[in-house]
Amino acid sequence: MNNREKEDYLREYEQLKKKGKPFFPYAIMKDSVMFCVVAAVLIIMSLVLGAEQGPKADPTTTTYTPRPEWYFFFLFELLRVIKPPALTPIATVGIPTICMVLLLILPFIDRNAERIPWRRPIASFTAVLIIIAMAYLTYLGATGGSPTEIELETNPKYEQGKQIVAQSGCLACHAIGENGAEGGLGPELTEIGATLPRVAIRQSLIAGPGIMPSFEGLGEEDINAVADYLASLD
Amino acid sequence: MKSPFSAKDQPADTKAEDALAQEAEVELTRSEKLAKHSKKAAHHGAEGGKDLAGWVDTRTNSSGIFTAMMSRHVPKGTNWFYTLGSATMFIFAMQAITGVFLAMYYTPSATQAYASITHLTNEVFLGEFVRGLHKWGASLMIILIFLHMARTFFFGAYKYPRELNWVIGVVLLVLTMVMGLTGYLLPFDQRSFWATIVANNITASGPVVGPYLADFLRAGPDFSATTLSRFYALHMLVVPGLMAALIGAHLFLVVKLGTTAPPWVRMARPKHARPTETVAAGVATADVADVPVADERAEETEAPAEDESDSGEQASS
Repeated sequence: MNNREKEDYLREYEQLKKKGKPFFPYAIMKDSVMFCVVAAVLIIMSLVLGAEQGPKADPTTTTYTPRPEWYFFFLFELLRVIKPPALTPIATVGIPTICMVLLLILPFIDRNAERIPWRRPIASFTAVLIIIAMAYLTYLGATGGSPTEIELETNPKYEQGKQIVAQSGCLACHAIGENGAEGGLGPELTEIGATLPRVAIRQSLIAGPGIMPSFEGLGEEDINAVADYLASLD
Repeated sequence: MKSPFSAKDQPADTKAEDALAQEAEVELTRSEKLAKHSKKAAHHGAEGGKDLAGWVDTRTNSSGIFTAMMSRHVPKGTNWFYTLGSATMFIFAMQAITGVFLAMYYTPSATQAYASITHLTNEVFLGEFVRGLHKWGASLMIILIFLHMARTFFFGAYKYPRELNWVIGVVLLVLTMVMGLTGYLLPFDQRSFWATIVANNITASGPVVGPYLADFLRAGPDFSATTLSRFYALHMLVVPGLMAALIGAHLFLVVKLGTTAPPWVRMARPKHARPTETVAAGVATADVADVPVADERAEETEAPAEDESDSGEQASS
């Protein structure tokens, strides 16, 4: 916007303001109606959906689902796009940070004087794309559940480890065969035994590499069973 | 007419009334005097100097500012989309109020947090309801912020001269998400615990500052008892304080610059528009005369807030 456009805008705005109505009572009335609607929706949500308490936090647990509040789903699902573990920081921190910075400096990037959405197609189109992408990622995050069953055939020898894997929430982030989070937060485990030796798998379970939490709380016996099972997948 | 009461009810002129008031002061107790003054304030607010409201007003010009805010014009074409911002602020106020009541029952310690929530949910009168309001209020606030932001974007309202207010708004969005993240841990159930562990690991994976920030949030290299109290302090002191200050700045700029008109609402522009009208946008003092001033309005707009806290107190008793 050059100085002339700025002056034109202020001049027209001043006229529009003169033609407008006083804040009280007109805008106040609309705001108050909106307050009532918001309050009513909130009260109904609280009454219908309630505030249930889950089981108590237990660091030594074997069953849990690390799921964020729904408005972080799109951030979590971003990891679908970027799979290699080395690039994980780009998805977890890099892209959200870049998006936030771009959002913050938007008024300094877009200095076009035009304000009508259909006369600034690039800005509007980008915004609509971003909204659709975020809605889609949120949808994926909401529907991508964490089943506690693994259908992949296994040698009965490894049955114990398989059960622990199924119940320990591994499938919230990893996929094994047809089950779990396909393309989720963590790498697929269907053939993990072919790429990682048992020692490395066991080490990962204890250390919790990258964003993965440590499963040390499972106990020595269960960790060994899980490592045996995962190493058998190839 | 010698009675102080008749003088108060039918003020003939200030001088006579002052004399009467002085005479009466001998007999009246302190509390009676205060009551009398507050009644007088309704009649003589503008004269100032004699009563409390006037005393404050001469020093702050608060009634003038209030009148200017109320009578300032919103531009032609202002529609329902313009209520999204104030609705967000309303939800923030709700979160603050319900949060205060939750804080009265919550124990920010790793050993007692869960039990205190159980107690609040199951035994405290309306406990689950207030917790539900707070929990779902967070979701509604995020939705309203995004709608408000979409409105601002598509109406081009972030452009000159309102760039700074957009920046403040984005910071408020980030802070609201920080509120969601820190608040999620507090119920201390399985879901919140493990989600926070993963969120912290994500933070730690960030370049350069990531590991340090994660250590700061966890209060050490591992998740510990201090982590919970740290999240609690951030959730109810640091971030809300910052947000309240920024909302204040946001509103100040809204009043100073005015809200935009929808971009498709234009003036039929006469070729010879008066150039003197190229004034910087500001509080429209010229418009003040249009609207009659009434002190009751102050009470009207403040009344709902009082009602809320009243019902909240009942809820917690």
